[in-house]
Amino acid sequence: METIERVEPLRRRALPVNAEASSNQGEHEVLLVQTGEVYTCREHETLLEGMCRLGRRGIPVGCLGGGCGICKVRVLRGEVISLGPISRAHVSEEEERQGYTLACRAAAKGAVTLEVVGKMQRSFFRGFAVQQDISRTKEGGASWES
Amino acid sequence: MGVLRMGHASLRVMDIDAAVRHYEDVLGLKTTMRDKNGNVYLKCWDEWDKYSLILTPSDQAGLNHVAYKVEKEEDLDVLQKRIEEYGISTEMLPEGSLPSTGRMLKFLLPSGHEMRLYATKEYVGTEVGTVNPDPWPDGLKGAGVHWLDHCLLMCELNPEKGINHVADNTKFLQEVLDFFLVEQIVVGPEGSVKAATWLARTSTPHDIAFVGGPRMGLHHIAFFLDSWEDLLKAADVMGKHRTKIDAGPTRHGVTRGATIYFFDPSGNRNETFAGLGYLAQPDRPVTTWTEDKLWSGIFYHTGEAVPSFTDVYT
Repeated sequence: METIERVEPLRRRALPVNAEASSNQGEHEVLLVQTGEVYTCREHETLLEGMCRLGRRGIPVGCLGGGCGICKVRVLRGEVISLGPISRAHVSEEEERQGYTLACRAAAKGAVTLEVVGKMQRSFFRGFAVQQDISRTKEGGASWES
Repeated sequence: MGVLRMGHASLRVMDIDAAVRHYEDVLGLKTTMRDKNGNVYLKCWDEWDKYSLILTPSDQAGLNHVAYKVEKEEDLDVLQKRIEEYGISTEMLPEGSLPSTGRMLKFLLPSGHEMRLYATKEYVGTEVGTVNPDPWPDGLKGAGVHWLDHCLLMCELNPEKGINHVADNTKFLQEVLDFFLVEQIVVGPEGSVKAATWLARTSTPHDIAFVGGPRMGLHHIAFFLDSWEDLLKAADVMGKHRTKIDAGPTRHGVTRGATIYFFDPSGNRNETFAGLGYLAQPDRPVTTWTEDKLWSGIFYHTGEAVPSFTDVYT
């Protein structure tokens, strides 16, 4: 089934406790190790909100409540803080110890390196490939068909 | 005799306070009871039984069980015999297993979802009463939904392995619980695979629906609203509360219902479903949506695929 993916604007359900702190300090770089993409996350925003600003197809936006599991990531380097409960149906305690979490429920505490592992991985990589094709096309001035 | 309607859903939530705030402030249900295990029971203003939603604190989201109300206590005995004869084992839970609720017939659908049937639940009345009632009560919060309308269960569908729990559930509900098929989506060679079905016992287009997916789960529980106006107001309420909207406001081709899909704070999908669609009857011809038009069935205005519809559920 051919599907059309859309990047939807993210809306946070509730402001985290420290949201009133000033927003300029505490910006952290997040590296997606599988694609080499880098984005910035403010300290009190979720890893997924930052990822959405990549502005491309395939960002795994689901329930935003830690329940559906499609934004599952593994933190390979760096530290994140939890912004709320995550479903044990998708991240076991053992996995959590190994750095797995849900991107909608975690914020960066410093520079972070992530691996995308959720169920929408295929869309995530397809979206990246499409974006690469578009930028190559633009650089070369070639048409879609060539 | 037999099944009347959807009676309640029991949902797992990961933050009980956030969940209660959502169902009270965004949807407009009211808490009617709490038990010693921390479960919270809620009802909508237009419902007359004590509760239609149970929220259970848990470390994960999803469905515990769905319950349908039958007309008479004797129906439970008749249906227990029929379900057992069909080859599905049952358990009769004694009165009081859930507070304010009579005995419950518990069994698993072919898809693995737990279903319960009951005939008795404490009557508390609607908020407008039964004598010279106003059309709606004062002091409604949020969307002010009328009643719990239906649920959609995701069922494992893997034709290569010969697994189609959409078809299995549909057959069971038709043959044993006397539901009638209202609409269906068929895919595959000559439409041979039932990918989704909508079934009813009431005169509304569905009281339960099944959609095929990689694993079983809860797609959504839906609450009824009268009209487009009510639905658009519900969307305003969701904006105000920063509720994550998944899709809509839009219209389903299937059932003709106007809809918003959104998530509770644990990620369980809710729907506000507006309009009575059409008069569903056992002798109404079944509506079929084909593979090439199935997204018009799901989201009629755009007819475009929305991946979260099939990929995101608890």
